[in-house]
Amino acid sequence: MRYGFAIDTKRCIGCHTCSTACRIENNLPAGMWWNRALTEGGAEMDTPAGEFPDATMSYLTVACQHCENPACVKVCPVGATYKDPETGVVRQDYDKCIGCRMCMSACPYNGVRSFNWEEPSYVVDFAMGDADVPPHQKHVVEKCTMCWHRLAKGEEPMCVKTCLARARFWGDLDDPESEVAKLVRERSSKQLLADEGTKPSVYYLV
Amino acid sequence: MSDINNGVGVIDDDFNPAAAPGAREAAGVRAAAWGGRGLTVAIGVSAALAVLGIVLWVIQLSGGMVQTGMRNLDSWGLYITNFMFFVGLSAGGLIISSVPKAFGIAGFGGISKVAVWTSIAATVCAIAFVVVDLGQPMRLWELFAYSNLGSPLMWDIIVLGTYLILSCVYLWATLQNERGRVSATALRVISVVALVCAVLVHSVTAWIFGLQQGREMWHTALLAPWFVSSALVCGTALVAIVVVALRKAGYLALDQANVTKLAKLLGAFICVDLYFFGCDLLTEAFPAAGGMAVVDMLVSGPLAPFFWVEVIGCVACAVVCFTPSLRRPGLIVGASALAIAAIFCKRVQLLIGGFQITNLEMAGPVTPMTVTGWESGISGAYQGLVYWPTMIEWGVTLGVIALGALILLAGLRYLPLRPKQD
Repeated sequence: MRYGFAIDTKRCIGCHTCSTACRIENNLPAGMWWNRALTEGGAEMDTPAGEFPDATMSYLTVACQHCENPACVKVCPVGATYKDPETGVVRQDYDKCIGCRMCMSACPYNGVRSFNWEEPSYVVDFAMGDADVPPHQKHVVEKCTMCWHRLAKGEEPMCVKTCLARARFWGDLDDPESEVAKLVRERSSKQLLADEGTKPSVYYLV
Repeated sequence: MSDINNGVGVIDDDFNPAAAPGAREAAGVRAAAWGGRGLTVAIGVSAALAVLGIVLWVIQLSGGMVQTGMRNLDSWGLYITNFMFFVGLSAGGLIISSVPKAFGIAGFGGISKVAVWTSIAATVCAIAFVVVDLGQPMRLWELFAYSNLGSPLMWDIIVLGTYLILSCVYLWATLQNERGRVSATALRVISVVALVCAVLVHSVTAWIFGLQQGREMWHTALLAPWFVSSALVCGTALVAIVVVALRKAGYLALDQANVTKLAKLLGAFICVDLYFFGCDLLTEAFPAAGGMAVVDMLVSGPLAPFFWVEVIGCVACAVVCFTPSLRRPGLIVGASALAIAAIFCKRVQLLIGGFQITNLEMAGPVTPMTVTGWESGISGAYQGLVYWPTMIEWGVTLGVIALGALILLAGLRYLPLRPKQD
């Protein structure tokens, strides 16, 4: 089994709902994004490249790629980041992390891993999201868990559930009958930084 | 960088007036301790700065590492730069004293014990820099309980620990050998093992960076041998400064021929280091493809000041080392300091250069945790240097260096490190 995503870049409208739903569902501390809608365009977010009438703008939503050959897992000195053998999900154990940030240097997908540089503080003064999300800790590294707490209940990740444009698909890439496997098979797709050899489990349909 | 020079400068300045006459007297009566009031003051100052460093470290831990300049997109900084740098500094002493013994050739005239002691002080600093960089130092025990032996960081912790212990054993064996309690053969075996371990320490430290395929600047097979050559440059330079200063302070007598030999060796190491740099730059630049970003960043980009200080400093130092009329003690010390500064600049280039080039050049949400210069937006943050340390990082760094100086100076005072003939 290898859980992964297929993301239809032709359907994605860059609304940032998946990123925001992720922040709420996982009760993320202020200033942290596990999933980010990156703009393929100008120098800042939500700005187009080029000048009118030749301006273009598209989006790539980037979170942990849950690689089959993860660079982060190899370098963690204590095994705090590890690949779940059953599902292929790359997980992070907050209680084990010593905060050396070796994984952040090793991951080629700059910015998908976040460090809690201070005691986590929140935008609102009550906890949001699912009660089963493990509490955030100061001075440890975290990242997308593929909504592990939801997978445990047989539910799909929150970013997939909330996508307005129905651009996000999730499932078992190893099961030829699954929706994601079919999409990857039938549509042309790309993997992010495929040259790095990390074999990401996120396919961008183009 | 200037901190290091100050640390060594302390020896030079404070020893001359007060310590030198006292030392000569003490040498006559075989006193166990050496040094006068100047050394006492230097030890006191180092201890005070080390304590201040610990206080700042506690502040960093309790208030959060948000007080440092490091952020998600530049997640290592001054501490890891210094870790690389001090691992390098620790090389020279051990190698200079163990190579002659291992190969049975003439040494550098009795400086081997002092040289090993500089290695030990530098290794302690290197380990301390890793510890102050950790977010959760209370979980250090996990390194031994849950060791992931596949991680280069784990290799480094094992090799660095072994290196520290081995340096101490080597020093002890040298002392026992002088008293006739350890055979020359045993000492030779230990020196061979220590030498192998020294080469490993630098290679493994390089692999923490060089094995990361995701960072253009780091991912090169040359990095490990290059780390060894850079380590030899700054390590030899440190030993040269320390022994010339100690000679001036009357701690040891050293023939100028031995200093000349050290200087020539330093010059040779610099040539190898520059040669490696040249090879790497050519390999990056020649295809005029992705690697060009690295060359541009170094030669004319944000890291240019560090690049040119390194190149010009190394060349200037080599000129002094290779020109007989320039090999005067003062100039050799100056040139050595320049070489050490140059290698520090090399470390800065490596560390910041790894983060300065991003793989995903797309703009996303920017928060105060994203990148050091987040206020100017994601493109603004990469205009200049992507990382610059804050005051607390400078303070903790000064504290760790003071700890190293404390170990070095206390060793000079209380340990029998002087050449045997004294």
